[in-house]
Amino acid sequence: MSTKTFRGGAHPPERKERSAELPIERVEQVKQVVIPVNQHFGAPIQPLVKVGDSVKRGQKIADSDGRMTCPVHASIAGTVKKIEPRMQPNNVEGLCVVIEPDGSGATEFMSPLDGFACTKEEALARIHEAGIVGMGGAGFPTWVKLAPPPNKPIDVVIANAAECEPYLTIDERVLTEKPGDFVEGMAVVMRLLGVKRGVIGLEENKKHCVAGLEKAVAERARGAAIEIVLLKTKYPQGGEKMLIVAVTGKEVPSGGLPMDVGAVVQNVGTFVAVCEAFRDGKPLIERGFTASGGALESPKNLYVPIGTVIADLVPEVLKVDEAKVRKVIAGGPMMGVPVPNWTFPVQKNTSGVLFLDADEAKAPAEDPCIRCGRCMRACSCRLSPALLNKALEAGDLDLAREIGVLDCIECGTCSFVCPARIQLVQRFRVGKQLLRNKIAKEAKHAGK
Amino acid sequence: MPANSLLLSSSPSAFAGGSTRKVMAAVIVALLPTTVYGIVLYGVPALLVVLTSVATSVLSEWGFRALIRKSVSIGDLSAAVTGLLLALVIPAATPLWMVALGAVFAIVVVKEFFGGVGANPFNPALAGRAMLLMSFPAALTGWTKPFADAVATATPLGVYKTAEQALVQAGSTAADAASGAMAQLLDQLGASDMGGLYWTMFLGNRSGSLGESSILLILVGAALLLALGVIQWIIPVAMIGSVFLGSWALGLDPVLAVLSGGVVLGAFFMATDYSSSPMTPKGKAIFGVGAGLLTVLIRRFGAFPEGVTYGILLMNAITPFLDTLRVKKFGFVPPAKPAKEAAK
Repeated sequence: MSTKTFRGGAHPPERKERSAELPIERVEQVKQVVIPVNQHFGAPIQPLVKVGDSVKRGQKIADSDGRMTCPVHASIAGTVKKIEPRMQPNNVEGLCVVIEPDGSGATEFMSPLDGFACTKEEALARIHEAGIVGMGGAGFPTWVKLAPPPNKPIDVVIANAAECEPYLTIDERVLTEKPGDFVEGMAVVMRLLGVKRGVIGLEENKKHCVAGLEKAVAERARGAAIEIVLLKTKYPQGGEKMLIVAVTGKEVPSGGLPMDVGAVVQNVGTFVAVCEAFRDGKPLIERGFTASGGALESPKNLYVPIGTVIADLVPEVLKVDEAKVRKVIAGGPMMGVPVPNWTFPVQKNTSGVLFLDADEAKAPAEDPCIRCGRCMRACSCRLSPALLNKALEAGDLDLAREIGVLDCIECGTCSFVCPARIQLVQRFRVGKQLLRNKIAKEAKHAGK
Repeated sequence: MPANSLLLSSSPSAFAGGSTRKVMAAVIVALLPTTVYGIVLYGVPALLVVLTSVATSVLSEWGFRALIRKSVSIGDLSAAVTGLLLALVIPAATPLWMVALGAVFAIVVVKEFFGGVGANPFNPALAGRAMLLMSFPAALTGWTKPFADAVATATPLGVYKTAEQALVQAGSTAADAASGAMAQLLDQLGASDMGGLYWTMFLGNRSGSLGESSILLILVGAALLLALGVIQWIIPVAMIGSVFLGSWALGLDPVLAVLSGGVVLGAFFMATDYSSSPMTPKGKAIFGVGAGLLTVLIRRFGAFPEGVTYGILLMNAITPFLDTLRVKKFGFVPPAKPAKEAAK
């Protein structure tokens, strides 16, 4: 099997060996869950419960009938103690439902649904009702992705099993431990979309998963044509656009979506959640994530109720060396969000929590750009980061737009390779905001 | 839980570990073979030129930045690289005070006045050389013979150009003048045939600027920089290729054209200067071709026998334009042509 890839990229130290061999540990007893009401990309939703209510595990606790929304469910049985803003892993405060367990273990799942026999409408409704969002990071509502407009035919479903972020091994573990559920979820999605071709995009460093996956495809795919494509181990191979171009050779047009090139991409965990939503009627109330980093005594792959507060796992489950920890990240080291403490809850798109020590978390001072061009060759979107940075420094937002600041996926490769350690991505984030403000302002003036 | 002691610096939280200093250190290491060879060829005067140029460059950067109250930057080694490069492109017999003057001009005027490392539009070492050449033409073309203490001579390019011009003035046809000039060159380098001449030129036992003569040792250093990813192949290949083809088109010996003067040193170490050369692949290609062709034109029709310095400096001037020839971004969609659609 030859390996496919995209142009550009970099090779950050993987550090996956620390947790790649560790089976997923299930955490069942938690003293509370703090469930953010809004965990998806899209329009905000409202709580359906009030303080004092007793809720069952799997009961819907927040929803809205708007488009681009996704319901949220209680992940444990218990009593709603508070509904108040708390810090979310994206480092902003958002409304959260705090539930303390009552020990009853009462469960309220949906009834099972045969994903290979139901209608497409039923299948889509099930994925919506189960509150499934993209579990790889963006938290895009899955049901929206699976309901493309009729003028956008989909011809391939791609499972994003690249897991290109260093440290993170949860997808690798899921592929090793639950390949059947993963494949079944993928087959259900392919049937729902009426797509004949399924591709599992796997980075080469997870080659050992191939045998298990092939067996799972033979046993659980119900005849769906799912092939495994090995990808070069290179960051950001798991970027949606990079994955699509590696697998199909097609580039998602600037400003467009994967459906513009006939592709739907879902993360490994998302397919498992789909499988469980049909087979068990279980909404997305639990997820796996990797806890790692040099300031953590032993790294772990954990499976916890959504809303589990990281601090509640310390020190019984996670032994954090408080003297060593220099940076805490929700997610991976390349795109994850640095957080000021670890009192945040695991939400639907939290794939990792890292406790980095001083060696791993450097914040080196910036030097002047020497125009070496490393960022230009590494940029997975071919955006000429050094020139973009220069345009933004000069306040030339029109040039920044022309170069493509809005196309930046913020993967961090340019900042990673920069010998002058210029915080390019951070500057582009600011640049995007300035440009969006300018565009909005101009639109307003044009409207008058 | 530690309060206020955690880093909140924006993602990514991983760094490749490169630095300006490491890049510059690699360039210095890559230049060592040809520098040492230059000292072997020309002895103590060459060593003094190198030391004077490097020391003056570093000191003048430190001094100037202290004067304008900017942070100390000599630790990034870029001043040392400029100093070393300047030493390599001037004759070993250049008076040391001129060397120092060239270094001060390169660092203070060409580099720091424009904002320091990464901001200079022109290659500081070459601009320093150009300034010296304009100010002190005799000293800057005062070549000495290798392995001979201060015996004056001319460079292969100089020998050829002078001989050819003399023969043309004496009434020879162009073809006769060319063959006569080549005969003189063979004689000067003690080579019996063209193969021997090429070989001598490749190994470097000929007069010229301190660090330009051994093509072999320059290529060793260039290979290191290419392997480390410090420089890219596009500019050197485009420049050397266009010197070869351009010389051939103008009836000059193309192999000799590449091996003589500062073409190879300039192509790998001067034209690839980050600050003053384009970052885009297309820009790099045009830059290399332009520098190569200008070199040939200056050599053939200009007043000087050698044209690498001005070839590169002239291309430096259009680098900002060449940088606009960007690679098409991922998923580039050509803008719609409203006029045509309206016509439909």
